[in-house]
Amino acid sequence: MLSGEFIAFIGLALVAIMGGVLLLNLTKVVHMVVALVFTFVSIAGIYVLLSAEFLAAVQILIYSGAITIIMLFGIMLTKHNDESEAKGIGWRKILLFLGVLAFGAAVYIGIYDLDFTSETSSLHVKNTEQIGLALYSDYIIPFELTSVVLLVTLVGAIILARKDDNGKEGDKE
Amino acid sequence: MIQDLLYSSPGWANFGIFFLLATVFLFVILGFVTYAILAERKVMGFMQLRHGPNQVGGRWGLLQTVADVLKLLLKEDTIPKLADRPLFILAPVIAFAPAFMVVATIPFTDKLQFADIGVGLLYYIAISGLSTVGVVTASWASNNKYSLLGGMRAAAQMISYEIPLVMSVLGVILLSGSLNLNDIVEAQKDGWFIILQPIAFIVFLIAAVAELNRAPFDLPEAESELVAGFHVEYSGFRWAFFMLSEYVYFFAMSSLITVLFLGGWLPLPFLGFIPGAVWFALKFSLVVFILIWFRVTFPRVRADQLMEFGWKVLLPVALANIFLTALLKELLTIF
Repeated sequence: MLSGEFIAFIGLALVAIMGGVLLLNLTKVVHMVVALVFTFVSIAGIYVLLSAEFLAAVQILIYSGAITIIMLFGIMLTKHNDESEAKGIGWRKILLFLGVLAFGAAVYIGIYDLDFTSETSSLHVKNTEQIGLALYSDYIIPFELTSVVLLVTLVGAIILARKDDNGKEGDKE
Repeated sequence: MIQDLLYSSPGWANFGIFFLLATVFLFVILGFVTYAILAERKVMGFMQLRHGPNQVGGRWGLLQTVADVLKLLLKEDTIPKLADRPLFILAPVIAFAPAFMVVATIPFTDKLQFADIGVGLLYYIAISGLSTVGVVTASWASNNKYSLLGGMRAAAQMISYEIPLVMSVLGVILLSGSLNLNDIVEAQKDGWFIILQPIAFIVFLIAAVAELNRAPFDLPEAESELVAGFHVEYSGFRWAFFMLSEYVYFFAMSSLITVLFLGGWLPLPFLGFIPGAVWFALKFSLVVFILIWFRVTFPRVRADQLMEFGWKVLLPVALANIFLTALLKELLTIF
């Protein structure tokens, strides 16, 4: 059955997987990050197909900033024009291959026996509102704890960053 | 109309209609960009006691931009020898595609809208952040110190000003109770949000100018410091793509400000006989004029002032505005 949704899914899934494969195979760090952009954006597209539009928007909102920062780190913290080389000894590659096979088999078995009971859910109706209600009523304590953890991380990052240039003026960003 | 099309069964006819609509829309935006550039040069000219373009296309220079674009298309397309070739070619596309994508969600009147997305406002802010990836990619691929500096500034500026932008809009969302742009316009029936949320409007306007990379926040392409910033090495139609994406964002951001704070297509009291499209166009032109006015009258801020202003002034003010709005909303519901 070839519906528009199916075509869109195939396109997005192909781009997502191609982005992932390119991320592993490209040799320059900025190329990898650009491949990552395509993966994240097409995964957001798949979220839209699943009617999780809030999640899709947030995914792009968070990752567009995050990817830009990764790119800057890639530019600033690696050698200019450095290329990663494939190194590894024979038996290590065989072990890796076996590991990949085992993982593939596990996932295949897991998916093959998966049986979604086709209950009618109303999760896609007004899902932004539903997420908000769930976060602020049922899961309020975990949600607040997460924000505290984030705050601690932020403070920790500031302390770590300030330690280096003790007494040096300026140079804030 | 779009809603019916979306729910009908897919086929080549649907594809054709969507393709045609998108093409027509693209040409409308290109037309806007052409005359926005002319208007900008004219207004700048008048404010600086000059004439502005007045040779090509009659007294008002109506064909000046068309001639400029033709010249750009005929120019030699240069790619530096040491540039990162694939990224150099890809970067203008990454910068332009999101600019066109965001325009789809903006409601021009209650009927004329391409995509009525439930999280329209969030969609706009999220997608517009993607352009920075294109800018940083371009700056790195050019293999030029000036362009790299411009790209770094663009990234820092985007991260710093996206936060006050989102935070200032939260006040509007609290009052309207929706992220949908249509609902936000409908919620302004009793009073535009520029009156109910003046602090949010000012913060949003400043952050919007910074997101648009226009003067006084045009540090990524500051011509007196960085030659031309991130697009130093670009020429011809690739450079035109960067300029185009900048002006399409100009269009989109002006529309968004109109929708969020000036009541979109809603008329002033007693003037309801004028159609909504005209109202939208009038408010939109006013915002465009104000943004051009900003560019002519303000000097460029320094990089460190930019960061301090974003984090130490705009963000606390936006947070205080959220607090105040929530408090007022609760008090109003109690009494």
